[in-house]
Amino acid sequence: MTLLASPAEHEDAPLSNRAMAWYRFSRNPAAVVGAAIVISVILAAVFAPWLAPYPEAAGSQVDFRNRHGAPSLTHWFGTDNVGRDIFSRVLYGYRISLGMVIGVLGLAVPFGILLGLLAGYFGGRVEWLIMRFTDVMLALPPLAMALAITAVLSPNLINAMIAITLLWWTWHTRLIYRIVKGQMGEDYVEAARLAGASHAHILFRELLPNCVSAISVKVTLDAGFVILFGAALSFLGLGVQPPTPDLGTMVSTGSEYLPEHWWESMLPGLAILWAILGFNLLGDGLRDMLDVEL
Amino acid sequence: MKGSPAGSDDRSAILEVEHLDIGFTNYGRRVQVLHDVSLSVGQGERVALIGQSGSGKTVTMRAIIGTLAMPPGDIAGGNIRFQGRELLTLGKSERNRLKGGGLSIVLQDPLLSFNPVLTISRQMDDIVRYADVRAGVTRSKRRRRQHLVDTLERVQLADTERVLSSWPMQLSGGMRQRVLIAMALLNSPSLLIADEPGTALDVTTQQEILALLNRLVEDGLSLLLITHNLGVVREMADRVYVMEHGRIVESGARESLFDAPSHPYTRKLMASVPPLYGERVRKVDNTGSTPLLSLESVTREFVSERPFFGKRRAPLRAVDQVSIDIDKGDVFGIAGESGSGKTTLARMLLGLTRPTSGVVRLGGQPVHELARQSSFRRRLQIVYQNPGSSLNPKRRIAQQLAVPLRYAGLTRGAIRSRIPELLEQVGLPQSHASRYPHELSGGQKQRVAIARALSVEPEIIVLDEPTSALDVLVQETVVELLLDLRKQYGLTYVFISHDLSLMRNFCNRVAVMYRGAVCEQGDTATLFDAPRHAYTRALIAAIPVISDAEEARKPAVTRLEREAVLVSTTG
Repeated sequence: MTLLASPAEHEDAPLSNRAMAWYRFSRNPAAVVGAAIVISVILAAVFAPWLAPYPEAAGSQVDFRNRHGAPSLTHWFGTDNVGRDIFSRVLYGYRISLGMVIGVLGLAVPFGILLGLLAGYFGGRVEWLIMRFTDVMLALPPLAMALAITAVLSPNLINAMIAITLLWWTWHTRLIYRIVKGQMGEDYVEAARLAGASHAHILFRELLPNCVSAISVKVTLDAGFVILFGAALSFLGLGVQPPTPDLGTMVSTGSEYLPEHWWESMLPGLAILWAILGFNLLGDGLRDMLDVEL
Repeated sequence: MKGSPAGSDDRSAILEVEHLDIGFTNYGRRVQVLHDVSLSVGQGERVALIGQSGSGKTVTMRAIIGTLAMPPGDIAGGNIRFQGRELLTLGKSERNRLKGGGLSIVLQDPLLSFNPVLTISRQMDDIVRYADVRAGVTRSKRRRRQHLVDTLERVQLADTERVLSSWPMQLSGGMRQRVLIAMALLNSPSLLIADEPGTALDVTTQQEILALLNRLVEDGLSLLLITHNLGVVREMADRVYVMEHGRIVESGARESLFDAPSHPYTRKLMASVPPLYGERVRKVDNTGSTPLLSLESVTREFVSERPFFGKRRAPLRAVDQVSIDIDKGDVFGIAGESGSGKTTLARMLLGLTRPTSGVVRLGGQPVHELARQSSFRRRLQIVYQNPGSSLNPKRRIAQQLAVPLRYAGLTRGAIRSRIPELLEQVGLPQSHASRYPHELSGGQKQRVAIARALSVEPEIIVLDEPTSALDVLVQETVVELLLDLRKQYGLTYVFISHDLSLMRNFCNRVAVMYRGAVCEQGDTATLFDAPRHAYTRALIAAIPVISDAEEARKPAVTRLEREAVLVSTTG
């Protein structure tokens, strides 16, 4: 017997799923702050050309008279070693970062989900093959792997994305595999089979909807980590190359002028922190709201 | 309200609950769940609190033992006095001192109440040690151990040393329930609260547990029994409180309540209990005698996977030489306790598991051959025990009902017009088509599951304990629906259950399974009126009934017979 008479038990006024989820979300200040931060990052990226006070700073503009300018009213985040407005470059940097998130997760997540579904549903040899392959991929140190790939293919944004994608799907495979394994014990899977449903139907219509909450939380949390990993690659010179305004590259270049020109590395660094903080808070909030365990 | 201060005119009351009001606040809405609940338990008395799920009996229990979660719960008013002391205003440390020593509790689920990774002795010893710490005394390890052994002997567990060194998983359900009771007794409480004792166990085991509780009361314990089972109440309680929607609607001595229930809810509750004997027993007949489904000495063995090291274990024979013939129009009951092989049998009927030897035939053709054809699914369907699991939580009702139709080859338009029909057949409003399962009650969900089974117009529906997850009142309506549908569509049911009293009122023929084999089968009236096999007699005798007349007509079982056939729970 349940202790709390859940709203669903009262015929007259069931609170919808959405209403309950929204209630939990709106009562969670961290989640609301996270959502606001994420929205600010997305707006900055989308409207960078209009928001940036010096759009030309995104390119290879050189203005040696203004190099190493401290933060001021005209240049909020100061200027860098060739006199470009750092605030404008940060806004454009978010475009690169979010582009990377969309590219990496857009490829890695569907691939990871598919493998996880197949492994969990079919079991046996399929499961063994997929999960052992996943284990091997998980065992590779990510930075060494990225290093190898970019060394072979030449360092640029696309190759950095390929490197991250190759490693990223594994986590989704494991997550989905675990959920599907748990769901396989439920009678609705057998009931669908007894109804004559095809494998594709059971995989994508019956099992996949039960993974959606977990996936959305995982993807949100992932977004922050992809930004961080991409910035790390750029910082090491394996990712985005100058003059493209990437946050990691900016931190890397700026760090040569520490500590006196601190803003050149610290403020782009804080911009990275800001985005990751937003995605993590939002992800945790979604986890509470959708009540999933990762 | 303060008419009877503790200890004045009702000196013997050990527990008094007065005018208790409790509410819960969820998602910003407060719902009052207890309204002015008053009850008392006298010294050495057995009191039952009865009600359906959601009636507020668990909330009452939690308020008494002090484990009500606040928030979301809040106690808006009332008193709870234990041995004359007000519990609601008691400080935390004083309250803790009462735990185990004053009042103690046996929870419902014998497995969930244990920590799976600690041995029984460790878990029991913890209780004694912490009680010692609270009382400020120290006892040697050996004396504590002796205390554990003594307590286990009080609950009639033999082989106490083995029990103590076991992990919970290694004990049978009945033994776990006994250990749980022993744990509650460790600090010699004066009041024991039992939440659905033995409900999760087989009837024969449950009967032994109830007998044990009765013996403990004879030794001076007071008992507050929380249950939904009227049969258990009749066997166990001196006084009864009936609860509905958070209110005590009727209370009184057991005899007067069972002989002349005054509140309509109590009467409804009593009427919904399927009678075992007497005129109220519903007779289900089948006039036809066309053979439809037959099992010919079907056996199924399970072979464990070969371990990495060591030898394969001997195969387990789950179903042993079972022969059954089911005619068209039958409601055929397959009865048995857990582990008797009835579920394996059902899976073989459905072609989900192949017999190791023997054959299942549907209309003369072997099922394992038919199962490969897609048309087979249109002839045999299943309704599962738990609709919470058999319905996909993330899909709307209409989407779920559409699946079998789509794979039966219906067009989109045909499916769209069929779904409202199906909902109507099972008595659900059309508006439920767009709902998700969690927006329906348990009984409504089971109706959806029945509609799904009906959708392809099968000849046979296998019902795997379709009502055991439902309250008795709901159970009755679902059974009526099933019988109605059978009459309308000429269906044949195979009803798998451990609930013999329901089987008595639902089936025209019954087979009783015992350790994988059918020990007795025949038409329902004969089997219940004159059971031949000792196990059948023991099983029927163990069913809690709600009237003396029924009790008197139960088959006689000698002690020797019972011990010979029952799996012992004492170790």
